[in-house]
Amino acid sequence: FAQEVTLRLHQFLPAQANVPKFVLDPWADKVEKDSGGRIKIERYPAMQLGGKPPELMDQAIDGTVDIVWTLPGSTPGRFPSTEVFELPFMMTNAEATSRAYWDIFNSKMKDTEFKDVHIIAAWVHGPGLIHSREPIAKLDDMKGKKLRAPTRIVNALLGQLGATPVGMPVPAITENLSKGVIDGAVIPWEVTTALKVAELVQNHTEFGGDHALYTTTFVLAMNKARYDALPDDLKKVIDDNSGADVSALFGKTQAGTDAAGRKVAVDAGNNIIELSATDVEPWKTAAQPVMDNWVVEMQGKGVDGQALLDEARTLIDKYTQK
Amino acid sequence: MILPRIVEWLARALAIVGGIVLGVIIVLTVVSVTGRALIWAGFGPILGDFEIVEALTGFAVFCFLPYCQLMRGHAILDVFTNMMGPTVVRAIDAFAEIVAAIVLALIAWRLTHGFVDKFRNGETSFIVQFPMWWAYAACLLPAYVSVATAILTSARGVKAALSGRDLLPEHHGME
Amino acid sequence: MSNLTLGMVSFGVLLAMVFLRIPIGLSMFLCGAVGSWIITGSTAPILGQLKQIAYSTFSDYNLSVVPLFLLMGQFAAYGGISGKLFRTAENWLGHRRGGLAMATIGACAGFGAICGSSMATAATMAQVALPELRRNGYSGALSTGTLAAGGTLGILIPPSIILVIYATLTEQNIAKLFIAAFVPGILAAIGYMIAIRIFVWKNPDEAGELKPRMPYRDRFAALLRVWDILLLFLAVLGGIYGGYFTPTEASAVGAFGAALIAWARRGMTVHQLRDAIFYTASASAMMFFIVLGAMLYNSFLALTQLPQEAAAYVVELGLNPWVVMSVILVLYLILGGPMDSLSMILLTIPIFFPIIMGLDYGLPPEELAIWFGILVLISVEVGLISPPVGMNLFVIQSMAKDVPTRAVFRGVIPFIISDVIRTAILVAFPAITLTLLRWVY
Ligand code: NA
Ligand code: NA
Repeated sequence: FAQEVTLRLHQFLPAQANVPKFVLDPWADKVEKDSGGRIKIERYPAMQLGGKPPELMDQAIDGTVDIVWTLPGSTPGRFPSTEVFELPFMMTNAEATSRAYWDIFNSKMKDTEFKDVHIIAAWVHGPGLIHSREPIAKLDDMKGKKLRAPTRIVNALLGQLGATPVGMPVPAITENLSKGVIDGAVIPWEVTTALKVAELVQNHTEFGGDHALYTTTFVLAMNKARYDALPDDLKKVIDDNSGADVSALFGKTQAGTDAAGRKVAVDAGNNIIELSATDVEPWKTAAQPVMDNWVVEMQGKGVDGQALLDEARTLIDKYTQK
Repeated sequence: MILPRIVEWLARALAIVGGIVLGVIIVLTVVSVTGRALIWAGFGPILGDFEIVEALTGFAVFCFLPYCQLMRGHAILDVFTNMMGPTVVRAIDAFAEIVAAIVLALIAWRLTHGFVDKFRNGETSFIVQFPMWWAYAACLLPAYVSVATAILTSARGVKAALSGRDLLPEHHGME
Repeated sequence: MSNLTLGMVSFGVLLAMVFLRIPIGLSMFLCGAVGSWIITGSTAPILGQLKQIAYSTFSDYNLSVVPLFLLMGQFAAYGGISGKLFRTAENWLGHRRGGLAMATIGACAGFGAICGSSMATAATMAQVALPELRRNGYSGALSTGTLAAGGTLGILIPPSIILVIYATLTEQNIAKLFIAAFVPGILAAIGYMIAIRIFVWKNPDEAGELKPRMPYRDRFAALLRVWDILLLFLAVLGGIYGGYFTPTEASAVGAFGAALIAWARRGMTVHQLRDAIFYTASASAMMFFIVLGAMLYNSFLALTQLPQEAAAYVVELGLNPWVVMSVILVLYLILGGPMDSLSMILLTIPIFFPIIMGLDYGLPPEELAIWFGILVLISVEVGLISPPVGMNLFVIQSMAKDVPTRAVFRGVIPFIISDVIRTAILVAFPAITLTLLRWVY
């Protein structure tokens, strides 16, 4: 079982963070095992091979590395269709939404926006929520709050809801929260443990009802030439560890790590505000212009935003009811 | 020769432009910080201040490169200079200038490709959403001027090595 | 040749190039680029990476403090801020043997409290103090050694560029690191003064004339005359700890304040402003080019797996945590000789941080991370003044062209010894670093 292929996997989080530990490592181990040791996947966490997180996609496209885990949203404007899943009140649970994401990726994005790269999996994280120094129980509480947002869409959403979006890299959140440079951050529970958010703010606003406030899309992407050059049997190993089921599993696994983050906040005696489906209605109304603007914006990029939006909703509902 | 003088002038002028950009960064940050502190009074931070500072810093540093090259401001270790004798030193310096010219040309050439990528793929910044190719395009001129400057200093280095006279400014062009 | 061997060979090649006076940034750039080419067997990876890495390195938000602190240092020099600080310190210490050198250290400490860059502090204070020291009969060795070491107070006393970079690499709280750096920074200044004391005791002919002893009334009057500098100091630190701005933004506020003081004092001429910009341009480009070279060399080293193997090896040895800590710090002292400090921290923290965090020093994780950060800061700072490669040595030597390199190296040795002793004390007693932090938080 001579080793034939070494693939370099590059990503931005430290090796012991949730996604590398529970999603990427198990996947890489499985690929190595399924190939009978003929594929070796070298793992480079925390941008060890250089560059900044937004450069990851180009590193995979240009062959600087072989595989990357990245957020299409870290390079705004390049993968506009993925944003349909990041729009407010779209996602239900990570597993179903990831399935819908893969379906639409496969039918609409594979040969267009992602034509320069081979996508192994496409998934989303668990329900995103607001963590803040002062309690946010109703829409009015958002006025004048300085909040750090993860994506372009959430930035637009915050502006729409009356808050001030503040841009900063993820590691800076902890420090700026502790000093009050920002009043809060919008992230899923899973990330709060690493950033010590529950120690720094006492309020967490969860959005009840069928749809979560927002989510963020991810892809596991491979250099195209590298994939094409694999011998057929090894290509099959990669293919068997790609696609809809793998994406759904990734989404489910990542969302599964949310509970630990929430528990930290509960144990700390923090105030967890659970908005009911009725409470959320005014938020949905206020967020509507974000959807409308997005559809208009998509026209300029040659994407039928409304059709994409409708299809994504239908698919998410379909997979959620299963 | 008029060409070397144009290159020298450009290198100095770009350094001044970079300095002015630093001034802009300072004012922008102070205004943004003040606005953020006064949110209660209806003011606010400059939207996307963070990414604007990033783009401006990148441009400023590219603007500083030609001047640094011209004045030989790059850090070197000259402990063994005395032992090697002036002829050897001049030869090594000429060699280093040529290598620097090649590396700077490599950087400028790849930056051009980066610019083309950003121009084609429509990537924007995060909050203000200015096209990223703007930032790359702005850096192209200073990047190529740094190549021209390095070619100039290479020519001077070679001339110095051949003639046995010191024609390059001393290392560490800190005035 | 295995990848590990390639990594080690590259290290030798890098050192050889640096010793042959090829610019340091250029040497790292070439070793990194060529190394990646060899290891991947193709030019595509490195050419792809180069499309973005120059722009993304030069536009790094955290590094934007570098040109701002350098410019601020220039404003401070031309606006008379550093001069006034020096006069004040002179009034307090000038009458002692070696007092002018001690005053330089004191003024450097004061300046270090508003400026986060070692190089900017060394260069700014050298502009004022170097002529004074030489005119008063201090030897070239003692003068340059004092200024090179005094400059490191720019990063030892918060705010500090190196701590910003450490915090970024390890995802730690920058403000907490600044607080923790405070007491060790003061200890550094005191340690340097003791080093000067011992140096002039051993070499009495190298310390110049004594200044007349000033009555305490005059000394406090001198302190009052630096009120605007103290105000800037309070505004910068108060802003950071009061949550008004980030430490990165503080550099812009500091530069703004220094410009205001310079303008209010006597105004800067257009000519001076131009020189300030030229200096900032040259020094910033130099630093950013080194960082760019280090980025490429680091990613090549990661590809060789040399850092990972080294970490695994240390863990495998199963040594006592205190031995591991000592080995790492001694390694820093040795590496700090030939290597540049910024590239050293970029190179090693990804390896050493996980090793240290995995060992038991009887401290909670955050305190351990902060304590280790301060120890790294001090080791890195030794790198800045340890021959043959040291950024501060370069800066000072370029400003004191009449002093031979060998004298500069001799002059800095007492300060390095002081650093080593202080490091040992801080390793043995983590409480020295952590008490203020525990008290504040
Ligand atoms: Na400082
Ligand atoms: Na050194």
